[in-house]
Amino acid sequence: MSKEINRLHPVSAIITSAKALKSMILPVAIIVVTNGFNFSFNFRSEHFFQTLFLFGIWGVGALLALVSGIVKWRTFVYWFEDGELRVKYGLFVKKKRYIPFERIQSLNYNEGIFHRLFGLVKVQVETAGSKDRKPEVELTAIRKAAADVIELEMRRAKNQVNKPINDEQSLSIVEEVSVPTIYHMSIRDLFILATTSGGIGVVLSGLVAIVSQFSDIIPYEKIFHELADFVKIGAFLVALTAILTLIAAWFVSFVITLINYYEYMVRIEDEKLIITKGLLEKKRITLPLNRIQAIRIVENPLRQLFGFATVVVESAGGNGGEGNDKKITLFPLIQKQDCLPTLEQLFPDMNWRPEFIHSPKRARPFFYRIDFVWLIPIIGACSYFLYPYGLLSLFLIPLTILLGIWQHKTAGYMIDGKQLTMQYRIFSRITLFMEKKRIQSIGSTQTYFQKEKNVMSIKATVMSGMTGMTGNVPSIEQQDAEKILSWYEH
Amino acid sequence: MRAEPMHKISRKGLTVWRLYGVLQTLLLLIIAALVCYGTYYFEWPSFIYFIAITVVILSAILSAYLFPKIRWERWRYEVRESEIEVQHGLFVVKRTLIPMVRVQHVDTTQGPILKRYDLGNISISTAATVHTIPALVMDEADGLRARISELARVAEDDV
Repeated sequence: MSKEINRLHPVSAIITSAKALKSMILPVAIIVVTNGFNFSFNFRSEHFFQTLFLFGIWGVGALLALVSGIVKWRTFVYWFEDGELRVKYGLFVKKKRYIPFERIQSLNYNEGIFHRLFGLVKVQVETAGSKDRKPEVELTAIRKAAADVIELEMRRAKNQVNKPINDEQSLSIVEEVSVPTIYHMSIRDLFILATTSGGIGVVLSGLVAIVSQFSDIIPYEKIFHELADFVKIGAFLVALTAILTLIAAWFVSFVITLINYYEYMVRIEDEKLIITKGLLEKKRITLPLNRIQAIRIVENPLRQLFGFATVVVESAGGNGGEGNDKKITLFPLIQKQDCLPTLEQLFPDMNWRPEFIHSPKRARPFFYRIDFVWLIPIIGACSYFLYPYGLLSLFLIPLTILLGIWQHKTAGYMIDGKQLTMQYRIFSRITLFMEKKRIQSIGSTQTYFQKEKNVMSIKATVMSGMTGMTGNVPSIEQQDAEKILSWYEH
Repeated sequence: MRAEPMHKISRKGLTVWRLYGVLQTLLLLIIAALVCYGTYYFEWPSFIYFIAITVVILSAILSAYLFPKIRWERWRYEVRESEIEVQHGLFVVKRTLIPMVRVQHVDTTQGPILKRYDLGNISISTAATVHTIPALVMDEADGLRARISELARVAEDDV
């Protein structure tokens, strides 16, 4: 065990300060705008004191940010001792944190643009207890070599627990790591992902175009001659701006997706999944297999058409600083046929090709009947206030019914030994694979009308992040729902 | 057909819920009185009288009489060897199964009204969900807590 004290790279001071400054920009900007730019450094001006005050506060804030960044960098040290990662920081209040290596669930790497310039990396250390959406320890910026040392130390500590081997051997083990890649996103798939990520927007702009074409067909010029010209020009302008906005939005989302998911790779290494991605900002996320609670396959209609799917992992605890949702995308876009063998390889004791038992025919009305409660007022209001265009909202009725029929066709479940698989659709088709031992609770709901028809909805919740994730198959046979309940009991 | 869970909420629970309904109605009555006074004083349109009175009467009928009755009729729970089952719901009947091994902790809460009747709400938390059984007799709630913690000790998998 080395006892040398390690420091963060000086750049981390800049990064920390920049972060603090970034959070200050918005309030200052608001104040500047609300003041109406009435600034003046002229001593006789009435705005002088205001200006002084504002800039004074801002200057002090900026200075504090800078100082805090420097202090954090100067005081932050970490070292390895007794099979633990030990961290100490703080100027007046010394904070120490010791984390045993075998408790570390994942090391997540993040390389921002700043980091890449200097060959640095941000390391986030997460344990099972990192539940408050924050990593246990964050090393703002260290050299890549130093990050490798942490990993090496961790491996060594874990190996010593299992079987004591001398240092040379363990070193050689570390060096000959050839991690099998289980998924590498091809450029073609990346482009499809980026194109379809804004897919809905494209569809919408198409719709707007069609609607604006409609205005030529409807002969309302004869009805309201003068008004018509105005409405037509107005509608055309609105449609044009809408289309342009959507195209711009789609392009932005296209570029963002391209940058975020560039070189997306999933590898597996001693019971952990390692996900790397990113072009400008490189990310590496580690996910221990035993934290995985459930697997979701999501197919949005457009992608389903071409046989593509997204595979999402519901995991408990750490999530690699992905923000506030604990779901981790495992395969952002993959041909469904291709992902099943991969998943079979990863989780051999799950059934990945379920035979669903579907919702009975008589349950179909339940899938669209409830929607009319809010649909009718909307249509009424649209038709009344936005006549004649508002009448187009009548098309919502067949659309809702069609969606309901589609949802009904999708809804189904399967029990297979120790596994429950649910399939349902809100708009995208969701297939949720759960092991019995991972399900936190199962419930059924039944309205009065469902009781008449002997159907029941079933819900299952697995742990995911802080709140859990609930799968819901609406309106299946009552006997089937009760079968699931009894299956869960025993 | 699955059998319903065995136990009902105690009769006293119904009384407490009725009491809540009465309190809510009283609160609404005060607000309605203020609104009516305002209507009279500022000469607002007179349909406001009707709305205010209707709201109070509806609250009296529904939240002090009908809803507690249906809720109480519907509420059932059962604590078995390896799982807890609850059933409740006003218009939609909800049933939930919670395996003992999934239970992380149990809390009892007791407001002043519940305390007078020696009742308590017991909430059972798993890693992902929270389930509440309302208005249990305190002895029963304590017994339940003890049993659950005993059974939770022999849990195998975490999460």
